[in-house]
Amino acid sequence: MLQVENLQVRYGAITALRDISLKVEEGELVALIGVNGAGKTTTISAIAGIVKAVNGSINFRGHSLIGKSPEVILRMGIAVVPERRHIFPSLTVEENLRLGAFSRHNRSEYRSDLDETFTLFPILKERFRQIGGTLSGGEQQQLAIARSLMAHPQLLMLDEPSLGLAPTLVDQIFTLIITLRSRGTTILLVEQNVERTLEIADRLYLLNTGRVEMEGSPEQLKSHAAIKDVYLGEGKAGGNQL
Amino acid sequence: MKRARLIAWLSRYSTIVILAVPILLVAAFTELIAGTLLIRLVTAMFVSMIIVLGMQVFMGNSGILAWAHVGFMGIGAYVAALCSMTPHIKEIAIPQVYPFLLNLQLPFWLSLLVGSAIAALVAAVISYPLMRLSDAAAAITSFALLIIIHAVLVHWDRVTNGPRTLFGIEEYTTLWISVSGAILMLILAYFFKESSLGLRLRASREDYHAASAMGINITQVRYLSFVVSAAIAGFGGGLFAHYITSFTPDAFYLIETFNVLAMLVVGGPLGISGAVIGTILVTVAREGVRAVENTINLNHLLPFEVIGLTEVFLATVLILSLILRPQGIMGSRELRWKPKQSSGEANELDAQPASE
Repeated sequence: MLQVENLQVRYGAITALRDISLKVEEGELVALIGVNGAGKTTTISAIAGIVKAVNGSINFRGHSLIGKSPEVILRMGIAVVPERRHIFPSLTVEENLRLGAFSRHNRSEYRSDLDETFTLFPILKERFRQIGGTLSGGEQQQLAIARSLMAHPQLLMLDEPSLGLAPTLVDQIFTLIITLRSRGTTILLVEQNVERTLEIADRLYLLNTGRVEMEGSPEQLKSHAAIKDVYLGEGKAGGNQL
Repeated sequence: MKRARLIAWLSRYSTIVILAVPILLVAAFTELIAGTLLIRLVTAMFVSMIIVLGMQVFMGNSGILAWAHVGFMGIGAYVAALCSMTPHIKEIAIPQVYPFLLNLQLPFWLSLLVGSAIAALVAAVISYPLMRLSDAAAAITSFALLIIIHAVLVHWDRVTNGPRTLFGIEEYTTLWISVSGAILMLILAYFFKESSLGLRLRASREDYHAASAMGINITQVRYLSFVVSAAIAGFGGGLFAHYITSFTPDAFYLIETFNVLAMLVVGGPLGISGAVIGTILVTVAREGVRAVENTINLNHLLPFEVIGLTEVFLATVLILSLILRPQGIMGSRELRWKPKQSSGEANELDAQPASE
């Protein structure tokens, strides 16, 4: 579905991505993990068209995304939920959701989409007329995800959805990701919470200083020494996790 | 269900009613008991309100400081005046006027529309590149635009009579015409804010990157809004010309810019209610200060003459407002009637998608 090859991105003199190749198949949940500065966010920003690639190719269903603007890429079916939520704080929940549906223009679908949103995110029904900025962190994250789903993306990219949330809310968000996946949404997930990500992802890419260091199933990555050391901690890597 | 829909509808448009009714009352009250001077003041206040609403459409919803609107007001004023003046008076008032303009004469209401349309056209032709800018760069370029428009008005002798006074315009703008104009623009500004275009513009104000991730073409949205707001400012300019009847290009420069900017900033640029309340409050306060100044000068209460008290006052109000309430009196709120929900949230929600 999505194929990224030899992607290279620079911010001025700094090379953020040296050589990233990855692919996402229909219906998969693929995760990008790695330390801060590894290039995870830059990778999905490049796919979404927010930053420009210097080199390499990005293909989505056979069409190249290189040089396309974020609006066009969204219309092609790729939505991104940016890091730190980025909802519109002084607009109401309703207006936030309506903006998510904006790229589709269809009133009757908007109504049925709203009903679907409310079954997935019951809290948003209660908060429908409230100003977005008055929602709690977890509610804002749900709103950000719900807003992206309004565009009916074929591929949903989530950038650190659990960042800065309390542990119970992190559980909620991961449950939600599992629900979305079981409904057939293809997801590209960026996460720092490696333990939880290993539990839900189909495949993972470990990024380091702008390169793919390792690729594989959760089991393959768990056995990798570096993952044990850096992300899980020696003591926790035992079998009790499974 | 029917009742719930009615309530939702009323609540949705309550802002317009809550603002328009007091405006009509003020006008009726003024007409009934006030003298000529006060009627003139209230007429002028509603003309200012139109300019402030025009600014709100762009500045309030986009979050970009707008300096150029008084320039568009000037364009609207000159164009409308040229359209409505008789050839005979035009010949005297603008000796060098172009022949094709000399014989042009339109009814008052059509002159207003032409003035508004030309202001919008000028905005449409020049503003696209400016809409790609944000923050300080956008503010500086729009300030430059005001200076450029002023320079053109001052030097285009054959249209504006240059820096000299343009006189001989009929006084068509009565109290009721300016009130109707203000209410019309109030409704327009409200619907603009609630429209899809207005919503997209507000989203770009809130978060530029998230808005473009929603598939919003921000430059285009800003551009269309800027043209709409220039049209409103041009319309207000036409009313101003037929209220004041003689003016120079300086009427559309810094003093007026700070005047309307103070009104919008004090009231709160984010909403229609803020624009309306700010206009009224600043007008009342400014005229109060002016009365004090006149009293001091007429009775020689001080050994020297007091000049510029109103300007000092406006500047002080603007600064205090920016320090104490940077979002203005109203912030992002609108005056709105919210029906009490006795049977929980469900009713309102059922009604909502229907009114979408």
